[in-house]
Formats: sequence, C-alpha cells, structure tokens
Amino acid sequence: MLSFDQVDVAIAGVQILRQISFSIEPAETVALIGRNGAGKTTTLKSVMGLTQVRGTIRFDGKDLTAVAPAKRPRLGIGYAPEDRRLFSAFSVEENILMPGQVAGYSDAQLQAGLDRAYDILPELKALARRPAGMVSGGQGKMVALGRALMIGSRLIMLDEPFQGLAPALASRYAEALRALRDRDREVTLIITESNPGLLRRFADRALVIERGEVREGELDAEKVDA
Amino acid sequence: MNAQLFALAVFDGVAYAALVFMVAVGLTLIFGVLRILNVAHGSFYAIGAYLTASIGGAIFAAGYAPWLALPLMFLAAAIVGIVLGGPIERLLLRRIYAKEDALQLLVTFAVFMILEDVQRLIWGTQPYFEATALQQLGNIEVFGVFYTTYQLVVLPLVAITVLISLRLFLRKTLSGKLILAVTEDRETATAIGIDADKVYLLTFVVGAALAGFGGALASATTSVVPGMGADMIVLSFAVVATAGLGQIEGAAIAALLIGLGRSFAVYLMPELQVLIPYLIMLLVLLVRPEGLFGVVRTRKI
Repeated sequence: MLSFDQVDVAIAGVQILRQISFSIEPAETVALIGRNGAGKTTTLKSVMGLTQVRGTIRFDGKDLTAVAPAKRPRLGIGYAPEDRRLFSAFSVEENILMPGQVAGYSDAQLQAGLDRAYDILPELKALARRPAGMVSGGQGKMVALGRALMIGSRLIMLDEPFQGLAPALASRYAEALRALRDRDREVTLIITESNPGLLRRFADRALVIERGEVREGELDAEKVDA
Repeated sequence: MNAQLFALAVFDGVAYAALVFMVAVGLTLIFGVLRILNVAHGSFYAIGAYLTASIGGAIFAAGYAPWLALPLMFLAAAIVGIVLGGPIERLLLRRIYAKEDALQLLVTFAVFMILEDVQRLIWGTQPYFEATALQQLGNIEVFGVFYTTYQLVVLPLVAITVLISLRLFLRKTLSGKLILAVTEDRETATAIGIDADKVYLLTFVVGAALAGFGGALASATTSVVPGMGADMIVLSFAVVATAGLGQIEGAAIAALLIGLGRSFAVYLMPELQVLIPYLIMLLVLLVRPEGLFGVVRTRKI
C-alpha cells in the first residue's frame, strides 16, 4: 500500500536518504528502526511531502509525488510528528478535529473521528477543552496521536512516539496502539523508534535504516545504540 | 497644561491611534503568518486614502447621498486588498519566502517605491481633501471641548470593532484557525492538510485591506498628499515593534501608547513630536527586546 522506489533525499546539499526502496503491505505494523540522524524522520516527511524527493513514492498505487503535500492527508494518511507539534492556540479537541475540518468532513465524519480518538485514548476526553499549550509532554503525544487518528483511515505514521515518555506513560501509549490495532485491523501503521525492544510485542516487521539506506531487519535481533 | 488642553491631547491621541492601529494590525498579521516585513504596507494605506478621496470627491460633487461615504471606504479597502494585495502576494512575494530577510525587505521596499510613483501618475501631486464623512457627523462637546464626532467616536469604535472582529475571525472561523495554525507551525499545518499557499494569500489580502481601510478612514480627516504612506509605514513599524511582532491586541495598546505620546508632545514639547514615537519604541525595546507582548521563539531545525 506504500512503496518507496529508489528515493533520494538531500537537505541543504547533504544526502539524507540514498536510493531507498521498500514496500509495506496493507494492515501491517512496521517498525522503522534507526539511530538518531539515520533518516527516519526524513522518510516519514517525504511521505507527507515535507521534503524534496527524487524517486517514486506510491500510496495505493498512486504516485504520491504528483499529489500536493496539503492534499495528501485526505488520502487517509495521519501523521504524528516528533515533538508533538500541537497548535497551542487551540484546545486539545480543536487540535484533534482540525485535520478533519480541513479535509471538509461532514459533522457525522468529524464525530466518528472524535469517537475513534476517544475510544483509543479515553484520557483525552477529560482534556478536551484544555489549551493544547497547557498539556504535559506525554499528554501532548497522546493528542498528536488523536489528531493523526482523525484523518488516518488508511495509514498512520508515528515519529518516535516513545521518546521522552516516562515508563508508565510509555506503557500506556503502547496499550493505546494495541487498542488501535484491535479496533481498526485494516489500518497500516509505521512507527519509528531507536529502541526496537519497545515495539517487539506488536510490530509485524522491522525496517532498519542506517546511513540513509533501508534493509529488512529482525525485531528481536536489532540492537541500535541511539 | 489645563484640563481642556489635556482633553484635546487625549482625543487627538485616541483618534490618531485608531488610524495607526488599522495599519499596524495588518502589518503585524502579515508578519505573523508570512514572516515578511511589508514596507509596501504604507502604500496600501495611501492608495486607500487616494481612492476614497478621489472617488468620494467625484460622486459627492455629482450629488450622490453623503451616507455613501462609509460604503465607499469599504469598497476602497476591498480594492486595495484584492486588486493590489492579491497579485503582489501571488506573483511576487511567493517567490521570496525562502530568501533571506534583507532581500525580502528590499523587494517590498521596491514595491513601495513603485507604488509611490504609481500614485503620482494617477493622482498627481496636488492634495485631495474630501471630508464629507467628517462633516456629516458634526461635532460633540466633551469636557468643555468641541471635537468632531467622526474622530472622537467613529474612528475608535471602528478600531475596536476591527480588533474584536479580527480576534473572533481568527478564533472562531475555520479560515481564521487555519491562519493561526500556519502562523504557529507551517510544516505541521501542511502535514494535516492545510494549504499554506492559500492561507498566505488570504492573510495578505486581509492585511492589505486593513491598511487600505485605515487610509480610507484617514482621508476624511486630513489632506491626501504624496508621502503620507511613508510617514505611516514608519510609524506603524514603531507600533508593531513596540507591541512585539505578530501581536494583534498588543498592536492596539502600542498604537494607543504611541498615539497619546505623540499628541501630548504636540502640546507640551512640539519639537519632540516626530521623535516621541521612536523614543517610546526605544525605551520599550531596551527593557523588552521582544516587545511589550512578544514571545521569544525557539526554532527547531
């Protein structure tokens, strides 16, 4: 459902991704493993059109590079960037709703999106009216996941969701991901992580990214010192 | 300074602040979203004034009803925003967002210079004066001082209405929320499907229209002359810097501060009249380099 074919990305003259090729099947949960600076974030950003790429990225058979970046989310792609990146001027619920509103969702669709987010992350309900600038780092990661759930009907990409989470919150987050897996079996998940052990229990596959190149890996065997 | 002079200084300051605010708020809105300091903003103000004074002069001389003065001001603002602002953003500014600040400043300065000459070509160098709106509303007496209703009541009310409407527009409408989202984080806004190009265009049109509206309002109170755009842009830069770049409510308070400072100087120390706005800015920036209401932003690469 998502494939990279010889994708190159250079930022400010520095080659970040070199001719990477891989493909991901529908409903898979894929861990994208690599140390800091290996190119994980760049890989996800190139799906969203946030970096200039050379090569082909296909989504459901369609050439994504021909789709304007702002039009890509409405193909059903939800993305939670590293560091949350919430809109602090708005409440938690407004943040979650925004991708749906931008895509022109009907009220019923928006409600369905909210229900999905609150089903998977019930703790967000209590925070709904709070300004997004006033939630803790861990809560912010949950809100960013909620926002990705609003629009991510086909593919959800989470960039280092566990980074900086206290152990209790990390296991709560992992629980939410399992709830998502159980609830929406057809959705495809890509999660980047520098510590593969965290994803061992629910990822189907590992892709390892090293020095801008991608290869298949084993979830148990991979040891990456971040 | 007796009570009447004091009242006069306050009224002058408030009326002037209302006009400066209209220009400064558009400037700060555009800066907040596009991250461009738009020097040509002063031309939008001047052209709004010229349009209102010249069209108004023609239609009132032809015997049209004086109440058309206000709709005419809205029309002038819309023309400035859509006919002038739209193409400038689309065709010119869009090419330079990724360039360094100095180049952006030079480009908008060039636009300003071109528009100054365009004004001379269209309207010549003789002053225009069209005060139908001001005369229609007459004078009121407050604290023993007679003052025009237009300047003492209408201008401040319009400025407050613009401030509140802009706040409601940004917070309550989807278009406004998109502007705020792009202001805070363009990349993430794009990643959730917001077309930042459209938001930039909308913001620039709204900001330019506000400056045009400020000029339209000002045209009833003063002669419209070449160079009025340059005076206004420099003053509104001072307001925006004092408030903190991108601060809308802050611009209102800074406009009031600078407007009052300027009008008191007129009565107390006329020789400092031109200097006072910049002294206020200097004092504020010495204590708070980010402006009265500005926030220090850390940018992550």
